[in-house]
Amino acid sequence: MTQHKDHAALAAAFNKDEPRVDWHDQTLWWVRRKRDIAASKVPDWEALRETASGIKDNVLSNLSQYLARFEQESIANGVKVHWASDATEHNEIVYSILHRHGIEKMVKSKSMLTEECHLNEFLDEKGIEVVDTDLGERVVQLAGEPPSHIVLPCIHKKKEEIGEIFHQHLGTPKGNADPKFLTHAAREHLREKFLTRRAALTGINFAVAATGEFVVCTNEGNADMGAHLADVHIACMGIEKLIPERKHLGVFLRLLTRSATGQPITTYSSHFRRPRPGQEMHVVLVDNGRSAHLGRTDFRNSLKCIRCAACFNTCPVYRRSGGHSYHTAVAGPIGSILSPNFDMKKNGDLPFASTLCGSCSNVCPVKIDIHQQLYKWRQVIVQEGYAPLAKKAAMRTMNWVLSKPGVYHTAGKTGRWFMLNVPFTVNNGLNAWYRQREMPEPPGQSFGEWYKKNKHEQQG
Amino acid sequence: MSSRDKILATVTKNQPEGRDLPALPAASAAGGDHAAVFMSTLEAIGGAVYVVSGFDRIATILKEKFPDARRIINGVTETPADIGDPHTLENVDLAILPAHFGVAENGACWITEKQMVQRALPFITQHLVLVLPKSAIVADMHAAYERIDAGDPYGFATFIAGPSKTADIEQSLVLGAHGPASLTVFLLDGQQSDAGYY
Amino acid sequence: MRVGLFIPCYIDQLYPQVGVATLQLLEKLGCEVVYPPDQTCCGQPMANSGFEHLTGGCNELFIKNFEDFDYIVAPSGSCVLHIKEHLHGDTGIPKKIFELVEFLTDILKIEHLEATFPHKVGLHQSCHGQRGLHLAQMSELMAAPFSKLERLLSMVRGLELIGLDRVDECCGFGGTFCVAEEAVSVKMGKDRCADHIKHGAEFITASDMSCLMHLEGILRRANSNVRVKHIAEILNSNDTA
Repeated sequence: MTQHKDHAALAAAFNKDEPRVDWHDQTLWWVRRKRDIAASKVPDWEALRETASGIKDNVLSNLSQYLARFEQESIANGVKVHWASDATEHNEIVYSILHRHGIEKMVKSKSMLTEECHLNEFLDEKGIEVVDTDLGERVVQLAGEPPSHIVLPCIHKKKEEIGEIFHQHLGTPKGNADPKFLTHAAREHLREKFLTRRAALTGINFAVAATGEFVVCTNEGNADMGAHLADVHIACMGIEKLIPERKHLGVFLRLLTRSATGQPITTYSSHFRRPRPGQEMHVVLVDNGRSAHLGRTDFRNSLKCIRCAACFNTCPVYRRSGGHSYHTAVAGPIGSILSPNFDMKKNGDLPFASTLCGSCSNVCPVKIDIHQQLYKWRQVIVQEGYAPLAKKAAMRTMNWVLSKPGVYHTAGKTGRWFMLNVPFTVNNGLNAWYRQREMPEPPGQSFGEWYKKNKHEQQG
Repeated sequence: MSSRDKILATVTKNQPEGRDLPALPAASAAGGDHAAVFMSTLEAIGGAVYVVSGFDRIATILKEKFPDARRIINGVTETPADIGDPHTLENVDLAILPAHFGVAENGACWITEKQMVQRALPFITQHLVLVLPKSAIVADMHAAYERIDAGDPYGFATFIAGPSKTADIEQSLVLGAHGPASLTVFLLDGQQSDAGYY
Repeated sequence: MRVGLFIPCYIDQLYPQVGVATLQLLEKLGCEVVYPPDQTCCGQPMANSGFEHLTGGCNELFIKNFEDFDYIVAPSGSCVLHIKEHLHGDTGIPKKIFELVEFLTDILKIEHLEATFPHKVGLHQSCHGQRGLHLAQMSELMAAPFSKLERLLSMVRGLELIGLDRVDECCGFGGTFCVAEEAVSVKMGKDRCADHIKHGAEFITASDMSCLMHLEGILRRANSNVRVKHIAEILNSNDTA
């Protein structure tokens, strides 16, 4: 795999177009505001988050039992259950199902798991065409890009750009960028796909251990259009998506969409329990690093995530750096604590793409301590040797100076020396500070010097 | 070792000490003006809602609202013929279906497979109409699941809250993404809600 | 009560007037304040960069300097939060260290102040003080609003607190983030400044000087007339101009 640029470099590129950054920031801030309004209308919202968090704690501590129960119930319901250790196995399972039915074209509704596994690329190489049917996902698919946001996949695209993409691929009139017109064009385009594809793949929002059913939430109805028209329905989920009983859905469905978009619930919350007569229904349970992650005490509760993206929308860094700067399937603060688990070398930059402001942890409907985990990942990444050597040397020097008051006080001219050496500019030098900011004006004396002089005089 | 066994073994090894399930919030009691909340919530998310005295009134309203509807499937006052292939539903203009109950806090209606004629129908139809008793509105999702757990088993069921929609293009809300462009809910009031249509 | 004054390194070196204001304010309110001269840094810059394991030296020094005080007070929510959350060793320090605003509010329980500052002031909520130390309610939480900072500022004669479009958005300083992610950091800072300027601020204040150093750098580069002042300076001010 080619070396990708890190978050800082990709974010800097995104920031070359400042009006666009403003637009991106304001659009997502608007979503955050809608979330606030929706949450404020639920009495005991904070208690509901606590309950959801508690349910997920129970899930993680009983996951093997719940998985076994879910499998047993699903099979009894007539569903075929598959287990995949990693992305490759997942992709091969999906391919083998399609291959067995001689299917070469498939519709797919939103599944971040299949993004994580790069399923589309895999199937494309096998000669299978996958059409993403979520409008936002279809836009980025036609543009040849990954989604930039897990709930709003093409939020980084302006309507004029989408109009141009549709003009090129769907033949809409050039220059038409009306969202209503474009949505209707996509509706027509995708309806033909729904009606002609024999297989549909969907994600899974929640799977109920006690009943073997799974729930898929969409606003567009694309998961249902695909699944109910197809002969073969394949539903893929990470193993952490289980919940114990159906009644627990009440908690999560109250939280999910209010946190995500500020809607009280998605238009469709579909409960799939048995295939319809004549249909084949498959569930693929995917590990891909999750079971190992479960063993990391400090990080396991990131597996509680229900993929609402509230942490994206509230994150002042995400809003101003764009989803692609995270170079992973799941961007934003939650992506920054999930991704190092998959590949610490490749994603070791992400926990540093945060000011640790803590807003993410406050909006999280399952109360994941996101910003605390960002801090802890930084320690792990450095300890495991993924920090640049120059940074290590600089940190050692800084520590040496700051541990020794004598050295600290005589290290050089007040203020100026400080700005050059500690603590914020270490390893990056002054240029990164000074390029767009003035330096503080060095005072005549430090507080320590003032204190010595004034208090000494006072007391003397 | 199969992937299944490998995954389950690792999960068993790595999962933390057992944590008890928390108590769920109590379902809000029946009563109160749940119907009024349901109606305003559903309207806010793009649905239309009417309180009606009976099926005649529904027929009148639908004729006014959907004068051009050609293919109509009425699962409320008629028993539609079996639909073998769901693809044949592609030209349905209007589907009129019963629902079990509505939820005040989010405007959603719970509809199970046996009410749908075909699973695809509530999604593929251009316009969807749901009919339920006005008395069948519960306060919140906790009450909803109490009711679902007490109901008949289903192979497929869904909450439907408003018309199909998307805001994927610059957060501009557009109704009628892939599914119905409109949702109309009729709440049957008074004696006639017990007319035994379901 | 005997209060150990903890002046974080960058305040010591770059903003001594904030240390002076903190000292004078505490003394005015009757505290016996001592500044241990051998203090340097809490270790946060290294820890937040992933080098918490290197902070043993700062850690030991901090304990040596401050162990014996009844209270430890610092004009920085960020450094105080770091000590509270990450100081190693079994000491009573995490329980007796306070950021200035919380010390004035929760320990001294002050009800009025002799201070005058007749200006329009925008309050920047420094994240570590707000979300870490709960100096003010967070806009994300569905909970009753409160602000220890606003309560203190409301005791200052002549001060007019302005409103903001985004009441508690991060300024983008973030320790080494400010240089490691320079582009986003600066953009965040510019956006914060613009919000304050739009609402007519003459001064931006905060409980953390690090945020203000970043915002000041941006304001000065833009030749803005808007200035920054640490909340200690305002609470200790007798500006009758």
